[in-house]
Amino acid sequence: MPDWQELVRQRLAGFELESDDSTEIVEELAGHLEDQYQSLLQDGVSEKSAIYCVLQNLDDSRDLKSKIESSREKELPMNSRVSQFWLPAFLTIFLAMSFLMFIEAVGFEPWVSATWGGPQGTLPAAVVYLPWLITLPFIGAFGAYLSGRAGARGWTVFSSVVFPTVPYLAFCLIGLPTAVILEGRIAHNITLPAFFVGFGVWVLLPAGALLAGGMPVHYFSRRALS
Amino acid sequence: MIASGIKRGTAELVVLSILQDGALHGYEIARRIEQETDGSLRFTLAALYPMLYRLEKQKWIRGTWETSVNGRRRRCYRLTPKGKQKIAPLRKEWSDLFAALHRLAGVSNA
Repeated sequence: MPDWQELVRQRLAGFELESDDSTEIVEELAGHLEDQYQSLLQDGVSEKSAIYCVLQNLDDSRDLKSKIESSREKELPMNSRVSQFWLPAFLTIFLAMSFLMFIEAVGFEPWVSATWGGPQGTLPAAVVYLPWLITLPFIGAFGAYLSGRAGARGWTVFSSVVFPTVPYLAFCLIGLPTAVILEGRIAHNITLPAFFVGFGVWVLLPAGALLAGGMPVHYFSRRALS
Repeated sequence: MIASGIKRGTAELVVLSILQDGALHGYEIARRIEQETDGSLRFTLAALYPMLYRLEKQKWIRGTWETSVNGRRRRCYRLTPKGKQKIAPLRKEWSDLFAALHRLAGVSNA
C-alpha cells in the first residue's frame, strides 16, 4: 500500500499555510485516500486499479492546493474591526467635529456681550452648542447604520456611535484628577466644578443625543434583517 | 451526473443535510452523498475539503480529530447550532428556486 501521507505531501508541496494547518490537511486528505483505497479493495477491485483510481483525486493537485489555500485563508482580524467599529467611529467623530466647527464659523453669532452668570452669559454658548446637539442624533444614526451594515452588534455599535464623546471624556478623566491634585483648578477659569458641568454638557448630553439617533436605527435595521 | 456549476451551489445544503444525522469524517460524507443521490452527486477531493473548511470557517460545522479503535486519526465534522439554524433558510431558498424553475421551465421539484 502506498504511503498516502507522503504522496499527498509531495503533491501539495509548498502549501502557503501555517505548518500545523498544513500537517493536519495532509493527514486528513491522506486518510480520505486510504479510506477510498480500502473501500475499493473491499469491492473487489485489484490493488493496482485501486491505486490508480485513488490517485486520480490528485491529478489536478494545483487546483486542489489553491482551493484549499483559499478556503483556509484566515481573514485579517482588522478587516471586520475596521468596518464595524473604526470606520463608523472615525466618521461620526469627523462629522461631529466638522459640524461644530461649521456652526461656529458660519452659524448665528450672538451680538450680546457676555457677562458672568445670567442668560446673557450662557447665550453665546447655547447658539453654538444647541444646534450642534440637534445634529448629533443624525450623526449617531449614520454611525449606527454603517456599523450595523458591516455586521456589528451590541457594544460595537454602541461604542462607534458614542465615539465623538471620547476626546471630551478623556479630557475629563485626565483633567479632573489633575485639578484635584492642583487644589481645585488647572487654570484660572478651569475649576473643579467646571469639570462636572463639562462632563454633563460635553460627554453625557452628546452621548445621549448620539444614541437617541443611533439606537433606533440599529434596532430597526436588525429587525429588518431578521 | 449533475454539472459542477449546479453542484457547487447545492453543496452547502447537501453537506449540512448529511451531517444532520450525526458526525462524519470527510470520506464518509462523500460516500453518503454519493449513495443517497444514487451517484448523481459526487464530490471530489478538490470540491469536498475546501467546502468543509469554508463551512467550518463560517462556523456552520466543527471538525474535531478523533482516534478510531484501530488507532487511526480522523477529522470528524458535526453541525454547530449556527449550522442547524442555517438548514431551514437554505431549504427554503432551494424550494423557492425549484418553484420558480417549475413555473419558468417546467422543472419539477424532486
